[in-house]
Amino acid sequence: MEPATSSRLRLPDTSALQLTRRRLLGTGLALGLGGFLAACSGGQPDVLASPEGPPQSGGTLRVGLSGGGAADSLDAHSPVSTTDIARVVNLYESLLYRDENYELQPLLAVSATPSADALVWTVDLRKGVTFHDGRPLTGRDVAATFKRITDPDDPKTGASSLSVLDEVAVINDHRVEFRLNTAAATFDDSLGQYALGIVPEDYDPATPIGTGPFKYQSFTPGRSSLFVRNENYWRDNEPYLDELSILNFDDDDALINALLSTQVDAVGQIPLALLEVIDADPRISILNSETGMWMPFTMRVDKPPFDDNRVRQAFRLAVDREQMIEQVLSGNGSIGNDLYSPFDPGYASKLPQRVQDIARAKELLADAGYPDGLSVELVTAPIQAGAVEAAQVFAQQAAAAGIDVKIRRVDTTTFFGDGYLQWDFAQDFWYTRNFLPQVNNSSLPTAPYNETHWDHPEFNELVAQAKGTLDPDKRNELIAAAQEIEYNEGGYIIWGHPNQADAYQQYVAGLVPNRTGLALSGFEFRRVWLGGDLS
Amino acid sequence: MSVIDSPQDIAREVETPPGLLRRLVRQRQAKIGIALTGVVVLLAVLGPLLLPWATGYTSTQFAGRPFQADGLFGTDNLGRDVLSRFLDGGLRLLIYAALATLLGMVLGGLTGMVAAYQGGWVDSIIMRANDVMLALPQLVFALLAITVLGPQGWVLVVVIGITHAPRIARVTRSATVEVITEDFIRAAEMYAVPKWKILVKDVLPNITGPLMVELGLRMTYSIGAVASLSFLGLGMQPPTADWGLMINENRIALVVQPWGVILPVLAIAVLTVGTNLITDSLARASANVNVGATK
Repeated sequence: MEPATSSRLRLPDTSALQLTRRRLLGTGLALGLGGFLAACSGGQPDVLASPEGPPQSGGTLRVGLSGGGAADSLDAHSPVSTTDIARVVNLYESLLYRDENYELQPLLAVSATPSADALVWTVDLRKGVTFHDGRPLTGRDVAATFKRITDPDDPKTGASSLSVLDEVAVINDHRVEFRLNTAAATFDDSLGQYALGIVPEDYDPATPIGTGPFKYQSFTPGRSSLFVRNENYWRDNEPYLDELSILNFDDDDALINALLSTQVDAVGQIPLALLEVIDADPRISILNSETGMWMPFTMRVDKPPFDDNRVRQAFRLAVDREQMIEQVLSGNGSIGNDLYSPFDPGYASKLPQRVQDIARAKELLADAGYPDGLSVELVTAPIQAGAVEAAQVFAQQAAAAGIDVKIRRVDTTTFFGDGYLQWDFAQDFWYTRNFLPQVNNSSLPTAPYNETHWDHPEFNELVAQAKGTLDPDKRNELIAAAQEIEYNEGGYIIWGHPNQADAYQQYVAGLVPNRTGLALSGFEFRRVWLGGDLS
Repeated sequence: MSVIDSPQDIAREVETPPGLLRRLVRQRQAKIGIALTGVVVLLAVLGPLLLPWATGYTSTQFAGRPFQADGLFGTDNLGRDVLSRFLDGGLRLLIYAALATLLGMVLGGLTGMVAAYQGGWVDSIIMRANDVMLALPQLVFALLAITVLGPQGWVLVVVIGITHAPRIARVTRSATVEVITEDFIRAAEMYAVPKWKILVKDVLPNITGPLMVELGLRMTYSIGAVASLSFLGLGMQPPTADWGLMINENRIALVVQPWGVILPVLAIAVLTVGTNLITDSLARASANVNVGATK
């Protein structure tokens, strides 16, 4: 099936370079302030009862997120930073979406049905949905939306996965047909991306109008936005909140301080290493979500020493995955088996879990002509929390197998600069995706981010077959077969899938763990309500 | 006075005032400075030798999960023992800072002396080039060089040394200009003593005062620069233990597990305050010398 809600996202952690005096001062201030505020809060009850019973309406939810900046935008089709995504998914809605279990669910569509040859997908629209300005949603709006996204002169974020789309034909007010140039058995997955929000025909990002649970009120890029409840939202009762305020934070220190001092009600993406200590605060609840995100080491299969599969397998066998999860993620993650897309129904779960085997790794290296071990350079950068840390743990573990890993830490800009996709041995970070969309991005000769330079004829053939197979069982078999090839020969070392951790005040209700990797229940704030005294 | 036939008088007149060093240590400020610096230097030098005996861990071994309270000062961002990292993290900083300062002194001292002694167009060229160098912000220059050449130890030392050189050259030049007008230099020149010999044997000993002050000052800056670059991820590379790097690695837990930041910050602060106090006292001590010598 299909997947991928997340477009490829890189939230650049340029903190290393941006760490300026202002920021240092800020840290100092925050520390001082934190203590001060903690001292002042002595008179209040430390624990507010978690809300129970039926949802209450009203109140303002203040959400803190780090990342974003002056380039933040409310354009439905160009979300880049986490803050953009959080705003966009509350203003606009796509035809389908990934729910918290990473299952594809209808949103503005009620159904999406492929033709027998998977060349035409018929989508029936939900009736009675109106835009924020009161106009009803029609097939023409859908057609205009996809025209805007795939505009050849200015393709938007979601366009890359819509390359098979020829045109959107309007059948009537509530039915459209997606006509494709290539059979795509999982095209509905492509429609489930959050960057494909449906907008009115005459959409202008300056007046951000969608069908989402919240309406635009004010917005300052890089700082904050305020949205108000959409009274005419198509779901009954939702949203519960009167207002939704999303605030940008420069770094994690400030974000956590704001949470601890109750300046915000919920924060997304807290560093996993801090999870336990934040959880120890009785006022704070933690949302710990299993995800399919992965932070692989990437070995170029076309360059020595990694062009020898024995070397790649030896590297994979050198990793102690449990220790990786303990040290890098503080135990908050699931073990990887050198395969991505763990939530794909076709995931090759029958393959044995690979575990550290130093003796076998040494043997393989000796067979490959490195009886005395070898020395490699591992390029790392703070591309995501834990990346540089993972590199250090790997270096330590690999030493036991006679592999001397020299860590070269560069800044994020350099990492994604000219050398990106060219490094012999490096790292990367991917959000949750199902297998076929992921392969399109990373593991085909045509993939834009084929960082391991993987080009395996048999694998390519299996993927091509799977793409055209409408029968899910057959398709899943093909996917598992393709994954087995990667398991045995691939260039990725996938040691684990980090959890996504968010934190919120106890009086916030309605947040549930979410597998998509998006923070705070996939930013579905329509379901959130505030308990306790709202006055 | 009738000096000629009275050897005793000659001896008294030639007797030098108490040496620079002795006058330095006489000041209370200097004593404090030396004590502070001494403590940190001892810690940095002996620290690596104490591992893993003192803490039970080497600086790269995992002691538990990240940011836990295990051990005396807890664990760092990767679950390593903070105290072990701290003990192992100072020596490289000190060595790099010292080497960079030394390099800066040699380069700056040489160019400064040559410029002052040669005068004319040589002086102009050297000093104008100096001005250009001075116009470049030190840290930005260092960032640029390290980004291009990679963060190896020698690059760090050379870059910081080079950025120190123009400042040292200025001080050296102005000190030298005063000395070279003295009669004994003229005398040496008349005896056709080679220029390099004059510079080394006659000029250098007479500018040690200002040079020592500069040495102390530059050492302080070097410590700061090496630590800053490590903090920015451009100095020491992980998993090496290093004070600057430690601050960067552990700052996300500043509120909840602050030792990983506080220990290195304290050490660097004490060290720079210590070297600064010494430098200050040195300046005072050497000013006395000059006063004594010129009057």
